[in-house]
Amino acid sequence: MIVLVIFMILMAIALEKAVVKRALQAEEDKLQVMIYSLLAAVDKSPDGLSVTVSNERVFESRLMTRDSGLYAILYDEHHQQIWGSRSSSESAVWKALPKAKNIDVGDWQFSTQPFNNKHHFRLVFAILWPDTNDQLNRYNVVIWQDAGGYLRQLDHFRQTLWGWLSITIVLLLSVMYLVMVWSLRPLKKVGLEIKAIEDRKQTGFEQNYPTEITPLTDNLNILLSREQYQHQRYRDAMDDLAHSLKTPLAVLNGLTDNDSLGRAELVTMREQTARMNQIVSYQLQRVANVVGVKINKPINLITFIDKISAALEKVYKEKGVEFKSTLPGSILIRMDESDCYEVMGNLLDNAFKYCQDKVHINYIDTDDDEIELNIEDNGSGLDSLAIDRILNRGTRLDETNEGQGIGLAVVAGLVKSYNINLRFEPSVLGGLKAVLALQVVSS
Amino acid sequence: MRAIVIEDDLTIQQQVVSRLKKAGFVVDCADNGREGLYLLQEYPCDVAIIDLGLPVMSGLEVINAIRKEGKNTPILILTARGRWQDKVEALDAGADDYLVKPFHHEEMMARIRVLIRRASGWSDSRIICAPLSLDTTTQRTFVDDREIDLTAYEYKVLEYLMVHAGEVISKTVLTEHLYDDEADNDSNVIEVFIRRLRQKLDPNEDLKPIETLRGRGYRLTLTRVEQASVK
Repeated sequence: MIVLVIFMILMAIALEKAVVKRALQAEEDKLQVMIYSLLAAVDKSPDGLSVTVSNERVFESRLMTRDSGLYAILYDEHHQQIWGSRSSSESAVWKALPKAKNIDVGDWQFSTQPFNNKHHFRLVFAILWPDTNDQLNRYNVVIWQDAGGYLRQLDHFRQTLWGWLSITIVLLLSVMYLVMVWSLRPLKKVGLEIKAIEDRKQTGFEQNYPTEITPLTDNLNILLSREQYQHQRYRDAMDDLAHSLKTPLAVLNGLTDNDSLGRAELVTMREQTARMNQIVSYQLQRVANVVGVKINKPINLITFIDKISAALEKVYKEKGVEFKSTLPGSILIRMDESDCYEVMGNLLDNAFKYCQDKVHINYIDTDDDEIELNIEDNGSGLDSLAIDRILNRGTRLDETNEGQGIGLAVVAGLVKSYNINLRFEPSVLGGLKAVLALQVVSS
Repeated sequence: MRAIVIEDDLTIQQQVVSRLKKAGFVVDCADNGREGLYLLQEYPCDVAIIDLGLPVMSGLEVINAIRKEGKNTPILILTARGRWQDKVEALDAGADDYLVKPFHHEEMMARIRVLIRRASGWSDSRIICAPLSLDTTTQRTFVDDREIDLTAYEYKVLEYLMVHAGEVISKTVLTEHLYDDEADNDSNVIEVFIRRLRQKLDPNEDLKPIETLRGRGYRLTLTRVEQASVK
């Protein structure tokens, strides 16, 4: 657009220059014609030794009108005025007019001269004229014209040219801008959808696009689907690997029931198989968390909490845990379903495992699109150092309770990958409170 | 007690079977889901230990099928896939507890005992039908505070009768829960065990803990007492 504007301006400048040049040429031509008509009125002076102009034969009426702005003077070779038109001879102007310098005979000299605070055109023509003795004498014919009219016309032309050019440029720019905005709108939509995909708000391009953009969005959707598929394949492969590693570990673990083994060997074997199991579980879970970009549709957190709590109430039936939930029917969050199971499963399982007989779950609205989910128990609680230790890899604080020992470390890794803040605090119930700061999706 | 183990990894299967037998269980086993479902449908059992990743028919499918038939057999699932989604799905389908491989066999036995007690309405490892009490963990028997020395099979008979206190248990059922199929079963052996139990538990014949219902079976006459759960 800028190039077009510059081009148009340069064109206008060229046009202006051409017009000015042509106009000047036209003025010179007009003055030439006047000089020729003056030459037609030239006659010998009465003494025959010089020439003069017969006023009766001067056809240009402005030369006869005082202060008309058009003046003609005839000079001899000594720059003495031998004739002046009535427009100059009856005014003091001609006396002040600067004299023209000698030019070669037969040459024309056209110039613009300032005089009396005005611009004037001046045309000088040098001639030879014979006197009665046939001696050729040199004379200069000079004609002056007030350039005011010309300049006024030129100004008017310039105003018209630049005025219309400005209007044209503004209109052109406006139209081009509107066309650009309209034509780039689909690309802007593409940009917004890419942002939504990056923010995990959608899994692909969902809007309709013009046929020019459709190949781009279709191919990107294919790429995203492939990425999701690869991600799922990788997770499944990791899962299969875990399964295949854990089975031999289970066999080794079973050997610890062999009474023929010594006590020390039994203890060592159990320790090592437990360690191997923790390493396998934790590292595979970590790898599965960081693979690829997880793009998640909203899920209802309540559905997962209900399923997990029902399962845990079955497992811990003998404990007679009172599970109380004050959550609404729906809380939508963006998270992979499997990850949601892991986070909520591990947190709730810990609450059920370590509680005396109460597990409560509630929430607080902290912002328009953020809540704090609280899972509390009435167990013995933990101090901050202990919490730090269990959030780190593979540390088990309570060896008497069954479990993998890495559950909370897995949770810590998972919530970090979703930029979810997790902290632990003492609960009013007397035990531990897990607090999750969750971004919710407005329905 | 009788257990069914459905596990495709033969080494783990044998380890689990061996552990159960050591604890006095009669065990049937299968290495694929279809065969395991057949065993569950055809043979009575007090607990089923089912691996989730089975060939032919998955553990989840077996659980769904057996629950659809209305059978309430306690089920403990074994899984190498420790994902919560799998655990919840299995528990939602009808399993009662889960164990993630590799596991300690003591843990497995503890969970199995809990499931058996739960199925009979017992919440504690000590089953009390006063003045009789039986500790299923240590396998010790008491009349009031006096410990009674029982043989393995005598203990098994008494445990079964006490877990199902108040129910009529036929000789056939007792036999099925005490012996595997290959054993040479003789119903008179059950009568011998019952007689010995009566002698050891009630030497003065004033307690009469076991009632014989002719043509039907035996019933423990003592009232069960629920002990408050230890929290």
